[in-house]
Amino acid sequence: MIEARGATYEVNGKRLVEAIDLALAPGKVVAVVGPNGAGKSTLLRLFTGELEPTAGTMLIDGRSLKSVPPCELARRRAVVPQSTALSFPFTVHEVVLLGTTVPGFHVDDPRADKAAYDAIRTVGLAGFEARVFTQLSGGERQRVHIARALCQLATAKRAGGETSTLLLDEPTASLDLAHQSVVLGEARRQRRAGLAVLAILHDLNLAAGYADEIVVMSQGRVAARGKAAEVLRDDLLSEVYACRVRTNAVPANGAPFVLPYADPGGPWP
Amino acid sequence: MIPSAPRAIAYVLLPVFLALALPAARADVVVTDAGGRQVTVSDTSRILSIGGDVTEILFALDAGSKLIAVDSTSQYPVDAVKSKTVVGYMRALSAEGVLSTNPTLIIASKDAGPAEVIALLKASSVPYVEVPDDLTPQGVAAKIRFIASVIGADNAGDALAREVERDFALLAKQRSKITRPIRALFVLSVQNGRATVAGRDTSADAMLRLAGAVNAVDSLRGYKPLADEAAMEVAPDAIVTMRNAGPSFGSDHILSVKGLSLSPAGQNNRIIEMDGLYLLGFGPRAASAARDLMKALYPSLAQSAAGAGE
Amino acid sequence: MTIEAVSRLIAAPAKDRRTAANRVMAGSAVVLVLVALVSLSLGPTGITLASLPRVVAVWLGAPADAATVREQLVLIDIRMPRTLLAMFVGASLAVAGAMMQGLFRNPLADPGLIGVSAGAALAAVATIALGNGFLTPVLQPLGIYALPFAAFLGGAVTTGILVVVAGRHGQLMIGTLLLAGIALGALAGALTGLIAYVSDDRELRDLTLWSMGSLGGASWPKVVAVLPFAALVLLLAPRLVRALNGFLLGEAEAFHLGIDVERTKRTIIVATAASVGAAVAVAGVIGFVGIVVPHMVRLLAGPDHRVVLPGSALLGAVLVLLADIAARMIVRPAELPIGIVMAAIGAPVFLHLILKRGIGGME
Repeated sequence: MIEARGATYEVNGKRLVEAIDLALAPGKVVAVVGPNGAGKSTLLRLFTGELEPTAGTMLIDGRSLKSVPPCELARRRAVVPQSTALSFPFTVHEVVLLGTTVPGFHVDDPRADKAAYDAIRTVGLAGFEARVFTQLSGGERQRVHIARALCQLATAKRAGGETSTLLLDEPTASLDLAHQSVVLGEARRQRRAGLAVLAILHDLNLAAGYADEIVVMSQGRVAARGKAAEVLRDDLLSEVYACRVRTNAVPANGAPFVLPYADPGGPWP
Repeated sequence: MIPSAPRAIAYVLLPVFLALALPAARADVVVTDAGGRQVTVSDTSRILSIGGDVTEILFALDAGSKLIAVDSTSQYPVDAVKSKTVVGYMRALSAEGVLSTNPTLIIASKDAGPAEVIALLKASSVPYVEVPDDLTPQGVAAKIRFIASVIGADNAGDALAREVERDFALLAKQRSKITRPIRALFVLSVQNGRATVAGRDTSADAMLRLAGAVNAVDSLRGYKPLADEAAMEVAPDAIVTMRNAGPSFGSDHILSVKGLSLSPAGQNNRIIEMDGLYLLGFGPRAASAARDLMKALYPSLAQSAAGAGE
Repeated sequence: MTIEAVSRLIAAPAKDRRTAANRVMAGSAVVLVLVALVSLSLGPTGITLASLPRVVAVWLGAPADAATVREQLVLIDIRMPRTLLAMFVGASLAVAGAMMQGLFRNPLADPGLIGVSAGAALAAVATIALGNGFLTPVLQPLGIYALPFAAFLGGAVTTGILVVVAGRHGQLMIGTLLLAGIALGALAGALTGLIAYVSDDRELRDLTLWSMGSLGGASWPKVVAVLPFAALVLLLAPRLVRALNGFLLGEAEAFHLGIDVERTKRTIIVATAASVGAAVAVAGVIGFVGIVVPHMVRLLAGPDHRVVLPGSALLGAVLVLLADIAARMIVRPAELPIGIVMAAIGAPVFLHLILKRGIGGME
């Protein structure tokens, strides 16, 4: 389990995040929401181990995060970035297989191939294995990265008592409705398998629909945390987002809310 | 002038010498070359020569027919070398290339390179003889005698060397008549508006001094570029350069350098062009090259010498 | 067979990319062996490998005649070290190029970018020009090893300075690395020019010839000298495959995948410096191999470093061997500097690749 205890990250006198206490318990999906500049990305990077807190600690299974070597860390957590720049013509299959960089797994292993194919199928890209990554659309690329992270976690050899954590940085940013539900549905499925999931989400409705816990960040601090119903309130959101927000309201023009249906069983047909 | 008594003795002894020398030419010769190595030379039928001066000397010793290959700096005698195989530039030889010409003897200037290739050639079964190199009149004579001894043509070598020594001696006499030495500058080439000139420790410098001139840039060492302003300060009375040596050579180029065109040499158009190998090779023609240069620098001296019936 | 036809043949659906990669590797290995045999068998003296049995017989004790001695000298002392050296130099330069392209995540990266070649060249130039001067007491005992040793030292020192300059705050910043490499290269170039200025005519000619590259001075001691460095790179390369692949996604992603980013960077720099320094030391400056060869491998077999690294080694060896054969046969008995032959071959091939396929398939 990765947890932050009083974690603060300060740069040039500015505190990007301050005094965060957050534990990513297994079997839970935590969504982090908030306006731009609230410190969501910084928080994520503290959890991935990329950044070291300037005050407070980050722990993984009780050990200090920075004391764990990268290869060991990679066995216990996988990260899906917002975007990557890849300038070489790898195929989808090859990119997903990069997830098996986790040591202890030979790349020519048929198990690695199977894990890769399963992951590709899970994100709805079956048949795309031979396509060149640089020729895919933004949404397709995003799903490839998710598949890669899934493959990484599936192939990692884990000792008993270690939890796996999946960290997602705005995974639905370029996705259309169907694929949004696929991705977040998969996140929920993973959590049932015992994973801890942290996702930065822009879309409050998605957060409400898919997360077990929502953390609202504002100016580097946690403004509120809890279930959707507790947290997504008019007054809190209006203050945090600095604009008038109404929740559960029907708009004056009769236009409905649209929320993709969360199908915990599998991909959206 | 060889005094008459020894001359008579030489005439008597010459046949004896020849009689002894001819068989010696066919026997094995052991020489100590300029690198200090003892080299045994038995077969001189296929000679490979590296170095323009070495080739020239071999031809002067009448061994041209035995030459099977030369390097690219061997340019004289012009027609004779045209028919020879060229193994490349003297300092960029190829071991296998040299060996592919099947020489029985390699005579090479000390400047031959690269070092590893020379090491390989020395380790091959072909005798490799390094020729001494000394930019002085005595050095030329010694070079001639040495090469002659290697190919077993000691008499011809001696004769040629003596001729050269005589010419140099005459030259020295002429030199002693110079009252006011001319300041001369040797320009190797002009590039980007800058002239490359010869300082001390170059063959050009040696030639200038042999011709009775003073090197206007003897504060420099080796071939160095001369800045435009410095060219003006140097103010040579005469400029010497190579002829027909390519696009960045020649007197037009030299005058394009402002500092040189404003010098006394430039203003009086005293630019002397001579063939490169002839002037700088320090081969058997060195003395006559120096004499030609002296004639060009001191025309009055040449006239008076002609007048004195030289 | 054009490059397109070959790559169409080999670059089957990427699902079979692994088979295609294996085919490319096997093919390259076969070609390498063939070209090496040709290199041993071809030369201005006309001696071929047919003489080998005789030479071996003499070595085993049979009486030697003049012709066999000559054959032995040519085959064993001239051609064999030359062939081996060409292979080592080609493999080292090509693998270093592939690693540089992975490190900078840019298909145009070249080992020369980090200033190693310039540093090695500077040291070699200094040795040539000042070797007869005040550096003599240091260099004399090394004899003909002085030049290779100095060149390697020059490359190592340049790399050391680079790592210190670009590696402050504990992290090697790629952008800083590039700029520092360019700056060091420029500095080395300036110092080289200065040395060229103070050298005399003969030394200057040697400098010019050396900087055009040549395998003509190949000898067994040189092969032994370069062997450990080539071996180091070729042994390190397989361990770097995963790291280089992950690196292509970016440093942050590589870290997430479990790669020790800083250590990878330093290993790549050291490996590149060692191999390029050694190659420049024994053969002068040979360009194009580092850029062109990894490209060709990517075009034929995809960008996975599992194939690109060994493929580059094989293909690099082949290319330099071919260039060397051309260098010593075209104007025999003279020789062309190999740097010129490589540029003459490499530039048109490179242009062709860019025009036809884009740079390494980049869009």
